[in-house]
Amino acid sequence: MTDLLIIGAGLAGLTAGWHAAKAGQRVKVIAKGMGVTHWHAGTIDVLGYTADGAGVSRLLEAIATLPAEHSYGLLGEERIASALSAFTTLTAEIGLPYAGAHNPGENLWLPSPVGAARPTFLAPLGQVAGDLSTSQPLLVVGIEGMRDFYPKLIAENLSKQGHTARHAFLPLSLFTPRQDVTTLQLAKLVEEPSRLAQLAEGLARLVKPGERVGLPAVLGFEDHPAVLARLQEVTGAPVFEIPTLPPSVPGIRLHSRLRRHLEQMGVRVEVGMEAIGFGTNGDRIAWVETETSSRPLKHRATNFLLATGGILGGGINSDHTGRAWEVVFDLPLTIPQARDGWFRPHFLDGGGQPVFRGGVSVNQHFQPIHPDRTPVYTNLWAAGGILSGADPIRERSVEGIAVATGTSIAYSVLRSQDNDG
Amino acid sequence: MIIAYALRNTHHPPVIHQREKITMISPSLSTEILVIGGGATGTGVAWDAALRGFATILVEKRDLTHGTTGRYHGLLHSGGRYVVKDPHSAVECIAENRILRRTHTHCIEDTSGFFVVTPEDEGDYPDRFLAACAETGVPCKEISVAQALRREPLLNPRISRVFEVPDGAADSFLATHATAQAARQAGARILTYHQVVGLLMDGGEGDKRVTGAVVRDTVSDETIHIRADLVINASGAWAGQIAQMAGVGVKIIPGKGVMVATNHRLVNTVINRCKMPSDGDILVPVHTVSIIGTTDEKVADPENLVITPGEVQFMLAEGDKLVPGLSRARIVRAWAGVRPLYQEGFSGDSRDATRSLTLLDHKARDGVRGFLTITGGKWTTFRMMAEKTIDRACEHLGVERACTTASTPVPGIEQGHYWLGHRLHEVEAEALQGGLVCECELVTRQMVESAARRNPTVTLDDLRRDVRLGMGPCQGGFCTYRAVGILHEIGRERHDPDFVLEGEADAEEWEVAYLQSPAQSSKGQSITAHATPGATTESALPTRSPAIDRRSPVSNPNLLLRDFLQERWKGVLPVLWGRQLKQERLDELIYLSLMNADHLPDAAAQSPMTGFYRGGDGEKKIVNGE
Repeated sequence: MTDLLIIGAGLAGLTAGWHAAKAGQRVKVIAKGMGVTHWHAGTIDVLGYTADGAGVSRLLEAIATLPAEHSYGLLGEERIASALSAFTTLTAEIGLPYAGAHNPGENLWLPSPVGAARPTFLAPLGQVAGDLSTSQPLLVVGIEGMRDFYPKLIAENLSKQGHTARHAFLPLSLFTPRQDVTTLQLAKLVEEPSRLAQLAEGLARLVKPGERVGLPAVLGFEDHPAVLARLQEVTGAPVFEIPTLPPSVPGIRLHSRLRRHLEQMGVRVEVGMEAIGFGTNGDRIAWVETETSSRPLKHRATNFLLATGGILGGGINSDHTGRAWEVVFDLPLTIPQARDGWFRPHFLDGGGQPVFRGGVSVNQHFQPIHPDRTPVYTNLWAAGGILSGADPIRERSVEGIAVATGTSIAYSVLRSQDNDG
Repeated sequence: MIIAYALRNTHHPPVIHQREKITMISPSLSTEILVIGGGATGTGVAWDAALRGFATILVEKRDLTHGTTGRYHGLLHSGGRYVVKDPHSAVECIAENRILRRTHTHCIEDTSGFFVVTPEDEGDYPDRFLAACAETGVPCKEISVAQALRREPLLNPRISRVFEVPDGAADSFLATHATAQAARQAGARILTYHQVVGLLMDGGEGDKRVTGAVVRDTVSDETIHIRADLVINASGAWAGQIAQMAGVGVKIIPGKGVMVATNHRLVNTVINRCKMPSDGDILVPVHTVSIIGTTDEKVADPENLVITPGEVQFMLAEGDKLVPGLSRARIVRAWAGVRPLYQEGFSGDSRDATRSLTLLDHKARDGVRGFLTITGGKWTTFRMMAEKTIDRACEHLGVERACTTASTPVPGIEQGHYWLGHRLHEVEAEALQGGLVCECELVTRQMVESAARRNPTVTLDDLRRDVRLGMGPCQGGFCTYRAVGILHEIGRERHDPDFVLEGEADAEEWEVAYLQSPAQSSKGQSITAHATPGATTESALPTRSPAIDRRSPVSNPNLLLRDFLQERWKGVLPVLWGRQLKQERLDELIYLSLMNADHLPDAAAQSPMTGFYRGGDGEKKIVNGE
């Protein structure tokens, strides 16, 4: 018998699974796909911009000003801080350590693939040296013919923002005779000792004293920390990764190490299983049914965590009549049921698109609720992108909401079982 | 000329022989014929005029085809659609259909067309249709429903009759660019992003004469005077506004048409409902998509067209009658164009206005000499419209010169009819996968570079029209960043001493015959030079591009990025639900969260298109700024 069945293998589901498994729960994760981590920067964005568009420097101070229905409002600063701290521990455990800004509690400002400064709270050690809060000159090195990274653009925009930055190229032939390589293939090629030596040597010739070196985020896959250390040793300069157009190597690194870690702890993670139905027993979910290649399967559990993501993750679907629905349990949504009110005329409108603020409403335990605030099911919880009350992409809180709600729910579930027991 | 070229880089020798009839006395130009409007009609008029030996200048306020030409469903009419309701149009269509297949072969896909009788189409229309086809000379053959379903398996199986006609699918972007290149080769000058802000007039009441136009370069913000013996107003839905500048009333009936594109070709044949032309009754396979068209609504303003959720739902419901399930297909985009319909003294619905062309001779009609307006018609008849216009121009200018456009192919026709697999075939045959910047539409880096270098480029949207960048299911999600990065890499530093001042790219940089061909672009070939296989791109192309750095907006990557994101947003906004909404959210993740593109420098920079994309304010500011 499963104690906790998690639907969704994104950061929310995996974080919750880790905490629950560590506390001795029998956990199973089922998922249709991989979650948003593969498409993002591999960082933990907690809150980058407030509702009025101001950049967030001191995180907890900004979080305190959020409305009560925001996931962070429901959690409170203490639970958020402890979730982030636990996540840092987790990254060290999986051999992919994350760190924050030099001044604790502040955001990092890291170069984006177009050379803007993107606010994030925790980043893999391989990205931290890019922090634009310091004034060290930057050399951005690209790979000729690589279509997902443009160093000249990054360097020019950094210069326009007052940084000292220049760019250079290394030839793709340094890594492969092929022309059509993906970022992930490049990352694996870089790990081969002869190629790594050539890369290090090439960089050493380019870098000037006092510079730090930014490279596309393809610096190894399994051996990323070793690749990074080797490049810093040979060049004598701080070396850091800048994210590329997706798929994201740092994101895939994080996801695959987390998944492997959970599996080593005895958690089953089944990807390629889409939840297609469920059964109830009174006010409780009894089972969730999934579609597999051979036959439908029923998964029974004591508690169920919905971590399927919002519109992007596939947890919410919609049609041309303006109907929007939650795909597994058909939970009540806060999205208006008419397309007229979903959007604003400008893509970059600072207020975001209204449709993306909608989602599943929850109580302070993160149980989905009806409009009258009673729980829909007593053993169902919801975490991450599917939650109502925030537009995580606009405010740059995608991973922060996932990690903080995933962590918190794991403990809420444990407490509920203690009470039941 | 000499002054202008003195500032040029010396490795670009001037090509003066093509322009000897144009004298340049800064800040004014003079010519025999000035054409206003860079759609299919205006470009066709410039082509015809130049072929007949007239010194010709064409001005267009945005990019070629930015108006109605670039916003139609892509049907090469057989005439079948009009045989009952507007037989005169039908006769024009089938004649031009035959000619364009010869002169613009590579811009046309020979799809053929069906007229199908659905259960909702009752009455004697099918028999009248058949008889009218015979009368108008539109080839039409009834085929069995079983045969039609074998060719188009998604077609509604409940249809009762099917008629086949020689409809086709046209690439109006490519065709207009090819026509423009042909016009340039014949000596015409084409000035895009040049907006007419006033007409030059001589004479008093009763003896007025249009002698040219005041034109603003919307990129450099400079104003030039263009003197002309004859001004031809081919500005489509904007023709009334231009005529007004001469004090002449031309009442265009602007008929808004909404079109919706699915992310697949649901059919390979044009499908029409066999009934009186109405809303949502035609499905055209164009390149990788199929387009359901169209509505017809009289609107007040040809700019800033709004598409409502209701209009899209209506089109999808009508589409379901042709291809059941169409409304559940993934929709990639919706857009609207405005037909420039004209009927003297007409006051009814735009759907009932004639589709025939109208040539207004303002000397006879209004007592204003030196000024013609050509309007009405449709894409399929653009060449005929141009022929009739220049026939009249010859009368005005007192010369007799025969039209040769019907027997003069535009550059590129040796590629044969367009076929869907041509890009994939070339990408695989030449192993160009590594250069793909737009996986949806198979656009390579070399195609982007070549298009930007070889014809005037101000925004990424210009490149979209050139090579179909960003027109697939992800609507620019991945290629926007790549195209911006590439253009920035090949762009020249600002404040370059060789900065080119002349308002036009050289002929060798205006090369559009192979814009659509990954293989030709990868070889960096022009129409005349055939590089040996394996020759590198660098050796065949200029290393720096006047077409890129001459105009400031394209040299600012942040502006390019913002404009194109907004331009794409405009077109997906009416069709965001289901998988396309999920795709849009991924684009937000990439451009907002990952790139932080809403916090880039140069937030205040504006291109000539910024206001247009934003809709409203910006555009008005430009107009008021004069």
